[in-house]
Order: sequence, then structure tokens, then C-alpha cells
Amino acid sequence: MSQIIIKDVAKRYANGFNALKGVSAEIPAGSFTVILGPSGAGKSTLLRTINGLETPTSGSVQIGQQTVTHTNLREVRSQVGMVFQHFNLVDRLSVMANVLTGRLSHRSWLGSLFYLFQRGDMDIAHEALIRVGLTDKAWNRADRLSGGQQQRVGIARALAQQPRVILADEPVASLDPVTSEEIMGLLREICTRDGITVVVNLHQVELAKRFADRVIGLNDGFVVYDGPASGLDRATLSRIYNRNGDQIDEQLETMLAYA
Amino acid sequence: MSAIETVRPPLPKKPFNPTPVWLTAWLALLWLIVVDLELSFETLLYGVDDIFEYFSRYGSPNFADLSRYVELLIQTLATALWGSALAFVVAVVLAPFAARNLTPNATVYRIARETLNFMRAMPDLLLALIFVAALGLGPLPGALALGIHTAGFLGKFFSESLERVDAGIYEAVSATGASRLQVVMYAGWPSILREALGYTLYIFDRNVRMASVLGLVGAGGIGLALHDTLRMFNYDQSAALIIVILITILVIDYLSTWIRGKLN
Amino acid sequence: MNSSRLCWPTPNGLPAVAPAVVVSVCLLLLVISASAVELDLVRLITAIPRMFEFASHLLVLPDWEYLPTLGTNMLQTMEMTFLATSIALVISLPLGVLAAVNASPHPVVFHVTRNLLTLMRALPELVWALVFVSAVGLGPLPGVMALSFVTVGFMGKFFAESIEVIDARQVEGVAAHGAGWLQLRTFAFFPQVFPDFVGTVMYILDHNLRAAAILGLVGAGGIGYDLVMAMRMFDYGRLLPIALSIYVAVTLLDRMSDKFRRRLI
Ligand SMILES: Nc1ncnc2c1ncn2[C@@H]1O[C@H](COP(=O)(O)OP(=O)(O)OP(=O)(O)O)[C@@H](O)[C@H]1O
Ligand SMILES: [Mg+2]
Repeated sequence: MSQIIIKDVAKRYANGFNALKGVSAEIPAGSFTVILGPSGAGKSTLLRTINGLETPTSGSVQIGQQTVTHTNLREVRSQVGMVFQHFNLVDRLSVMANVLTGRLSHRSWLGSLFYLFQRGDMDIAHEALIRVGLTDKAWNRADRLSGGQQQRVGIARALAQQPRVILADEPVASLDPVTSEEIMGLLREICTRDGITVVVNLHQVELAKRFADRVIGLNDGFVVYDGPASGLDRATLSRIYNRNGDQIDEQLETMLAYA
Repeated sequence: MSAIETVRPPLPKKPFNPTPVWLTAWLALLWLIVVDLELSFETLLYGVDDIFEYFSRYGSPNFADLSRYVELLIQTLATALWGSALAFVVAVVLAPFAARNLTPNATVYRIARETLNFMRAMPDLLLALIFVAALGLGPLPGALALGIHTAGFLGKFFSESLERVDAGIYEAVSATGASRLQVVMYAGWPSILREALGYTLYIFDRNVRMASVLGLVGAGGIGLALHDTLRMFNYDQSAALIIVILITILVIDYLSTWIRGKLN
Repeated sequence: MNSSRLCWPTPNGLPAVAPAVVVSVCLLLLVISASAVELDLVRLITAIPRMFEFASHLLVLPDWEYLPTLGTNMLQTMEMTFLATSIALVISLPLGVLAAVNASPHPVVFHVTRNLLTLMRALPELVWALVFVSAVGLGPLPGVMALSFVTVGFMGKFFAESIEVIDARQVEGVAAHGAGWLQLRTFAFFPQVFPDFVGTVMYILDHNLRAAAILGLVGAGGIGYDLVMAMRMFDYGRLLPIALSIYVAVTLLDRMSDKFRRRLI
């Protein structure tokens, strides 16, 4: 059964730019999907429409049995964790408090007014921190951590939601190669062990080949490839990274040769 | 050498510099104002001796009534404190509605903004006059007036700080399924905490200053005593009162500057 | 352990120490000082109908004959604001330079000017207005004097603060070419701080308009005198137009200065 169904999604921004021009895809439950594509292809836009941070101009997104609309936004989001390129942690809160924000959809407004949580939430957050290996930093301020550690907190926040889906928008773009490897491994492990559906935007073809079950190639708002990671041969890659239908330039050739 | 000089290309035409025009207009306007207000600065100059003589009358402050002054001073500080607390509470409630990135919709945003603007535009002494009429004499109407006026300032400062917070942080918290209130509480306030405390201290500072003159309209504090002694040409006591007010304000000023320094 | 028990996100589940201390100290101070402000809920609640009554009184036709006088007095208020701010501007420019740690000629000069500025802005305009009124008599003159005096204290401080945060490399660049002391200040400092200065002046103009509107309270010119008289005599036909004109003037200036600042930056 498909966890995420994207149906003919088009997105036109307020300035008139068409970022997505009719994208359809079905992402099975418990799979690890990587979205590849050149800068400006619409990868972030697609990911953001999945949890309602952007509203599609036409078409629809369905998660589980629910179609994402304005009225069930909070409910949908509580089941979808999001991991960001720049981590987007609340700097002044402790690591623990940041992870606990993943529990907010289960807390009343009154409790939130006084920053109160339940013991059970603390246990879930603790669990999430164990998973990402950051228990010793629980009471540090979030902005005192290294980039890789901050991204782990971001993943722990998503885990604390106990989500069915985790979306990650270039989670390793601001990290060094070794740390990138660790973070991707962590996401892969979460997918395999917890059966959480993971969708990741990436710029590294090589990481996609190693970690993904499935790759969706986006170019200029269209899906140009949708298949297994093993299908990423040179012809496919040049189709994904192709610009304006021009000849593939030298640079791209070399880049793909190293991919 | 000379060959180069002869073929030296001319500079492009210098753009018109309007500064002298502005300066002349400014001075002319000032002159017109001085004429219209019938100010005679000459008498001021001729009267320099008189003025020195006048200020020398304040030379021997009389602290006989000090205990009463201290009592009034405590009332003044209490008025400023309650006024600032009221302003803080009102501002914390209104600011998220007046921040473009947190407000539920454009109408609410406009209403919140205009409310803050209105509170800011009403001078606190005018508000104090109104509240004294409704509540009777005493420090309570003073605290209300200070609170409402400075809530306008604090609310504006807070909402502008909330607007400067990185959009990604709001997005990340709302992406967990948090409600608008939760986004404000967990992404908004923690991110601007220091700034907000700094502004509040600054407003408290300002309110102490203003509370010391609220007495002029019957809204309690040390201002009324100063008004009375000056009216009765009681220079010794006036001098004592001015010194007491001055010291208090300076102490509060240094204290709040020190705390603000600690915050950063 | 019951998993639905409420707790704070701290190691022991109790509130964090620093915020708890700050909040309790503030609350304690408020409780202690409640009697000093004569806080009385009954009085506050009984005042609500009176506020409405007052508001209903305001809804009378304006006193048409008074409107021309209102115009003149508002004009006087604005003139006082503009004049006092201009005078203060001329005095604050050199004082601001002397009070900026990176532009002051000598540490002693720096400290003396700094403290002088602090003293000047310590007392509110109204106190100085009271003093100047008893020194030079009623009218706009003591008002302008009081306003300028306090404004120098604020403006000089703001100027000094903007000078202190400028980019030292640009100053070095000009100094490296042998510029003199004054040249350095006019050619390296001034262009950098100019936008900040304009912002400060607009902000102070705004503040001074509000201050000038109430100086009349003590007989120092402007609309304030009419305001107090209307209030004391319950002359509601004048009260609303006066309050409205103050509101409109302040709001207009606020909008204008917002626009102006945005264009400059
Ligand atoms: N808020 C917006 N308003 C207008 N245009 C936008 C907006 N956000 C994105 N775009 C445009 O939409 C297109 C797709 O953007 P998107 O961020 O989805 O690309 P991307 O594939 O994630 O690129 P990158 O790899 O650089 O992150 C780009 O051309 C971008 O300029
Ligand atoms: Mg992107």
C-alpha cells in the first residue's frame, strides 16, 4: 500500500513562477526514496507540498488515507516529521526542549503556555536522543552544538513525533562527507528498523545510489526518472541534470563520471 | 607631461548638490518659527546674569522633609513598576498578532498594529488626565496611563523582533503539527527573549522618569510635591526634590544599563 | 511513574532556576508595591462605568469657534518641536563626537561629556519646563529651552553610540592618507554614521512632538494648556478635537518618518 500519493501536483508561486508542472508519484510505505535534480528543479517545493508548507495550485497530496487540506493540516503534520538543511532548531532552547517540540501536537494550549510537558513525552524524547546518540548533550543549548550534532537533534525532533513519514530537505548539504555518511546511515536505519517512510532531497548522486531504494528525478518541474537506484546510469543522470535541453557540457560529463 | 595635460578629458558634469538649498531652507524655516513664536533670544542673552542669579537660588537644598520625599519616591517607583508590568503583559498578548509572520490573517494584523499605534500616539500625561477623571486622584491612574502608552512601544518592538526571527525556525516547529500559539511560545519568544527583556528594562527606565512628573496631573508620585514647592517659590525644598529625583533616575539608569549589559 | 504527570523540560522536571528566580522576584516586587500604587480592584471595576460615561460625554459636537485657536496652538506645538530639535541637533553633533570612545580626543573629555549627557537627559522635559517657566516666565520660550536641553542629552548619546559602531577600516583608510583630526571626523566618520543620525533625528522629532504637546501643562506653550483647561472645566466640545489633533499629528509624523527612514536605508 502506498504511503504517499502525489497526484498531478502543480505549484505556481505568487510571482508567477511555475516550480512544479504536474508531478505524480506513489511512494510505498516503509521505503527510502531520494529525490534528485538540479538546483531549481522543484525538489524543495515538492517536499514542502507533501506536509502542507506549500499549497499546490492544482492536484493533491494524500498521506495514508488522508488528503492534505487546510483543515487537517495539523493532524497530517503530526504524522510527518521534517528535517531541514539548516537544522532550524530554536537556538536558545535546550536540546531536550527542541526534541520535545516534536510532541507539541499532543499537548494542550494551556500546558504550552507554561512550557509544560508530560512525563511520557520526556520518555519519548529521551528515547529519540538515545537513537541519535546525543543523550549526553540533552541539557546543552542547541546553538552550542556542531552542525552534525544539530542535525541529529533535528532528526530526534522528527522521531519524537513518532511519525509515519520523515521528509528531509538536503539534510547533509551543510555537513562534511564523514558526517553526511553518518546522518544518511541514521536515516536509513530509521527507515529499516522502524518502518518509517523516508523521503530525502539530495545533491549527491553517490549517496543516493548507496542509500535509496527508489529515486525520483526532477527537472524543471517535471518527473524525468522514477525507478530503482540501480537504474541510475549515465544516460539517466544526464537526463536528470540536463539544462534547457542543451548538449551536456564538459563539466557535467566529468561530474557524472565521478558520481 | 604637458602633452598629456592638453588632452586631459573633461570630467563629466558635476551632479547638482542640493545640500546648500536644504540648509538655507532649514535656516529660513527656523527664523520664521522664531519670529512666529515671538521668542527673543536677545533678552535671554542680556538676562544671562539674571539666570545665573536665578539658579543660585537653588544653592542650598533643604532636606528637612526627606522622609516624605522617600515615601513619594517609593510611590513613584511602584507606579513605574506596575505601569511597565501592565505594558509587558499587554505587549506580549498583542505582539504576535502584530507580527506579519505569526498573525492569523491580514485583518487581525491591521487591527493589532493600529491598536499599538494608537496607544503609542496618546501621550501618557493625556491618558493620565483621563484616568484621573475616571478613577480619582492617586498613583493607580498614573500606572494605567504609563502601562497603556508604553504597551504601544513594547508591542511594536516585540512584533518587529518576532518578524526578524528566521522563517525556518517557525516552519520547523509548525511542521511538527504545532498550533499557532505553540509556534509563538516555542519558536517565537525563546528566540527573542534577550531582546525583549532589554526593551522592557529600557521601558521601565523611561517609566521611572515619566512617573516622576505624573504628579502634575494628580496621578501620584513625587511630581506633585515638586510642582507645589516651585509654585510657592520654595527654592530650597525644590532643590532637594530635584536632587532626590535626579539621583533615583541616575541609579535606575545605571542599574538597567548594567543588567542589559549582562543580558548580552 | 505516571506518564501523564506534568513536568518542565529540565533534568528534574522542576522549573529552570534562572527564569524561576527572575519571575518570582518580579512578582514579589509587584505584590509589595501593590499597596504603594493603591491598587484596588473594586475601584478599578467601579471606574469602568465612569469611563463609559466620560466617553459618552466626548461625543458632543465640537466647539466650532475654538477650532481656529486649536489650529494656531497645534502649529505652535509643531514649531516648538522643530525648533527645539534643530537647536539640539546643532549642539549634539560636536558633543556626540566628544562622547564617542573612538572619536573623542581624550579619555577625560570622553567621560566628562558622557556623564554630562546622562545628567542632561536624566530629568524629564516637564521638570525643566517647570524650572524654566519660573526663571523666564510663561510662554513657548521655556518650553523650547526645556525640550532642547533634554534632547541634547538623548541625541548626543545616540550619536555617540552610532559613531562607536562604525567600521574602523574605513577610518584607517582615510587616516593612512594623512588626514587631520577634524578631516578624519568629517570625511571618515560622518558619511558612515549619516543614515543612523537621520534615523535618530526622526525618532527624536517623533518623541518631541508628544512631549511638546503636554508642555503647556506647566505653561510652557503649545496645545497642552488648552488640553488641561478643557479637562479641568469639563469642556468636552474642545477636549475631543484637541486629543484627535494630537493623535493625528503624531501618527502622521510617525508614518512620514517610517517612510523616510526606509527610503534612506
Ligand atoms: N517562495 C517562492 N516564490 C517564488 N519562487 C520560488 C519560491 N520558492 C522557490 N521558488 C522558485 O521555484 C523553483 C524551484 O525551487 P526549489 O526550492 O523547489 O528548487 P530545488 O530543487 O529545491 O533547488 P535547490 O537544489 O537549489 O534547493 C526555483 O526556480 C525557485 O526560484
Ligand atoms: Mg531546495
